[in-house]
Amino acid sequence: MEAAKMASPKSAPKDAQVMAQILKDMGITEYEPRVINQMLEFAYRYVTTILEDAKIYSSHAKKSSVDADDVRLAIQCRTDQSFTSPPPRDFLLDIARQKNQTPLPLIKPYSGPRLPPDRYCLTAPNYRLKSLQKKVSSTAGRITVPRLSVGAVSSRPSTPTLGTPSAQAVSVSAKVGAPVSLAGQRFTVQIPSSQPAGKSATPTTPTVQNVLINPSLIGPKNILITNMVPPGAADPSSLKRKHEDDDDYDAL
Amino acid sequence: DRQTLVAVLQFLRRSNLRESEEILRREARLLGDDLGGNVAAVATASPGVAAVAAVPPGKGEDREDCEVGPSSRRQAREVGSPCAARSLGSSPLCWDTRVVGGAVVVEDQPDVSAVLSAYNQQGDPTLYEEYYSGLKHFIECSLDCHRAELSQLFYPLFVHMYLELVYNQHESEAKSFFERFHGDQECYYQDDLRVLSSLTKKEHMKGNETMLDFRTSKFVLRISRDSYQLLKRHLQEKQNNQIWNIVQEHLYIDIFDGMPRSKQQIDAMVGSLAGEAKREANKAKVFFGLLKEPEFDVPLDDEDEEGENEEGKPKKKKPKKDNVGSKSKKQDPNAPPQNRIPLPELKDSDKLDKVMNMKEAARRVRLGPECLPSICFYTFLNAYQGLTAVDITDDSSMIVGGFADSTVRVWSVTPKKLRSVKTAADLSLIDKESDDVLERIMDEKTASELKILYGHSGPVYGTSFSPDRNYLLSCSEDGTVRLWSLQTFTCLVGYKGHNYPVWDTQFSPYGYYFVSGGHDRVARLWATDHYQPLRIFAGHLADVTCTRFHPNSNYIATGSADRTIRLWDVLNGNCVRIFTGHKGPIHSLAFSPNGRFLATGATDGRVLLWDIGHGLMVGELKGHTDTVYALRFSRDGEILASGSMDNTVRLWDAVKAFEDLETDDFTTATGHINLPENSQDLLLGTYMTKSTPVVHLHFTRRNLLLAAGAYSSQ
Repeated sequence: MEAAKMASPKSAPKDAQVMAQILKDMGITEYEPRVINQMLEFAYRYVTTILEDAKIYSSHAKKSSVDADDVRLAIQCRTDQSFTSPPPRDFLLDIARQKNQTPLPLIKPYSGPRLPPDRYCLTAPNYRLKSLQKKVSSTAGRITVPRLSVGAVSSRPSTPTLGTPSAQAVSVSAKVGAPVSLAGQRFTVQIPSSQPAGKSATPTTPTVQNVLINPSLIGPKNILITNMVPPGAADPSSLKRKHEDDDDYDAL
Repeated sequence: DRQTLVAVLQFLRRSNLRESEEILRREARLLGDDLGGNVAAVATASPGVAAVAAVPPGKGEDREDCEVGPSSRRQAREVGSPCAARSLGSSPLCWDTRVVGGAVVVEDQPDVSAVLSAYNQQGDPTLYEEYYSGLKHFIECSLDCHRAELSQLFYPLFVHMYLELVYNQHESEAKSFFERFHGDQECYYQDDLRVLSSLTKKEHMKGNETMLDFRTSKFVLRISRDSYQLLKRHLQEKQNNQIWNIVQEHLYIDIFDGMPRSKQQIDAMVGSLAGEAKREANKAKVFFGLLKEPEFDVPLDDEDEEGENEEGKPKKKKPKKDNVGSKSKKQDPNAPPQNRIPLPELKDSDKLDKVMNMKEAARRVRLGPECLPSICFYTFLNAYQGLTAVDITDDSSMIVGGFADSTVRVWSVTPKKLRSVKTAADLSLIDKESDDVLERIMDEKTASELKILYGHSGPVYGTSFSPDRNYLLSCSEDGTVRLWSLQTFTCLVGYKGHNYPVWDTQFSPYGYYFVSGGHDRVARLWATDHYQPLRIFAGHLADVTCTRFHPNSNYIATGSADRTIRLWDVLNGNCVRIFTGHKGPIHSLAFSPNGRFLATGATDGRVLLWDIGHGLMVGELKGHTDTVYALRFSRDGEILASGSMDNTVRLWDAVKAFEDLETDDFTTATGHINLPENSQDLLLGTYMTKSTPVVHLHFTRRNLLLAAGAYSSQ
């Protein structure tokens, strides 16, 4: 990119000229012309943020107008928040001394690729494949993979069959029993009354309306997403099953 | 505790609670003299930001007390200098004056706030200019031989006085002080002065870590005894010895006996943020020799049997009896013991690699002034100034580029394409018993010359291949160092420790360990199987910009933006060498293959050569006009190649540069060496590219020089 092609002084607005002068004073002689725009934008945004914060502080202190103390406080708070700086030297020297006291660990020979324990590596799979709909698991402990569907609602018979796939086109299969085992470990976004999952006798069982699955939530954690319907809509006879989307690797 | 006790005592005294004060004093058995010692100790303590909380609320009364005439005010302030212990030992009280607004308030909180106010008021602000110009006049009128040495005082005094004025909120005096004297400083301090000129208020100082470090660490000056006596006599004669106070408090004067140094000598060695290095900082013993290589016979066929006869794996202790091949070499006294630091064992693939290395070495071209290497330049096109790091494997088969768009791209330099291991599904299909299983596990369908690795979230500033070519490291502005596998071309680990941009990383020559250095001013030593660093090397005053392992993997050199190079011991984390002399941040380091010397390049365009064993500067190579970003010694150490932002590669005669080192007693004692102006003689060739700054240099095993850079169109 070409080096400093500044706008000619006649046509550049005053702010831009000031910014160019600042850059020159700080010894920066070569820069792309858009740098001035970026700097101006940053300056404007920063000052606006500070002044807005200062207004909040001054109104909190029940002052009639913003004064220097408010601005000072605002600057200080923002500095601690966004412009963090590395730790001071004495702190670094201190932790260095502690760390350097332990002897270097011995190396076990012939131990394959030397990597940290798995939880510190990035080698775990972060996806899981869908299995086919027709698969029926025979063992009691097996649970099928739920089908992900967005915006699908279906009503299903109430039998809490383990792993019964839906024969319908719209697939909503529930993972039964899973929530119970999940309670301790999983990241659940759920409604309180959904605990006795799938045992669908209760009329207040929440129903799926729209499940929007955020793919970024799918990961090594297990996610239970359940939705709430207005209680009035719950029809005991239709026995809507809760739609759980559960990436439950371990329970498989 | 002691500090709070003293602060409480002062408060009691100020509130005229004499009796309680006496009782407390008696109980605590504090003597008046102790206070002086305390403050001197605390004044050199680390800065914390707490302390001021102890400001007694009854500040208002003092204002009236101290509205006395200006002359006595000044006296009160003089009495209150914190370094009472030395210059005014009789004064038991340590007063700490602060200027708040217009009125002068005397607060007695010596210890509690001594930490923050290392710059308390030491004199009338308007007189600072007079003090400084008085000193200037004195130095300029002194004898020639002393003038050069005493001129070293100007810069640290200027900075400290300016910071003191700023800290005590005399903004206008500070500005006029700066205006008047900043032009007198040496040209190589101009960058620092520019930063200083933007610090005009006390609040600015708090956020600037480098300035805080500068303030609390002592600036080291090396002055001969005669010059020092002269200075001391002059400063102590004068009535107001504020300058003497500053010298006492902030400067460390390393006195040596002997001839004063000439301006040229001084200019070669000064320039860092903290002055020069104390002589005893460079006295520790450094094992700069190389580790013994296991002995092999070259022929391939007997490789397996030779493996048993080899003279020792690096990890085990050195065998007592000499094997056949090693009778020729005795234990090098300068080499570290084999097991000084644990090193990974030699695998079969490593042994194969070593055999290849030796075969190539046999065909290596002998370089010298008459036989210069050919240079092959790899130009990265269409990088749009985004190429930020390059590395080449030792056998020159792969080249990696780190880019500002946070990608890491690996190319194969040889016709052999890059292959990754097959997926698990395909691997289950292959015949595991076949002889060429290692080829079968490689996936032909996705073989390509280029593999792109995604994962970082910021520009990639450093890359490094592992010696066995299985792993690749990359460090980035996002604060992590990532380990990539070159067999699956996926990311294996992200090492989080620096929370600030990491500027450089390198694998150890034996693999397994790696070092990284970043904006948080420390370098860290990691092992691939530990998620936390094994060693932390703290001591630099500014970012660590460049990190390199010594060939024997026992030492790490770090170059920093504070313009010093430090050599650290891996075993215990100590800093064993400090090298000053560069006038700009250091961007390249290279160890000579024999491990004895270090070459460094910085933004000032000079390449400096250092003798590690003695801790001396032994050479200065001038020629480049812009930052030297790449330095590499040839395989046998005969030629030093340097690549720079001025689009040139220069070759220097390393053999000649390192011969004839004078190491007489004076030199080793003082560390002063007279550098000959022989840059022109040592320069063997300058090779210009069209407009491509040189970012990386690499000598192949046969001494062909490879260079890399990104084409930039202006």
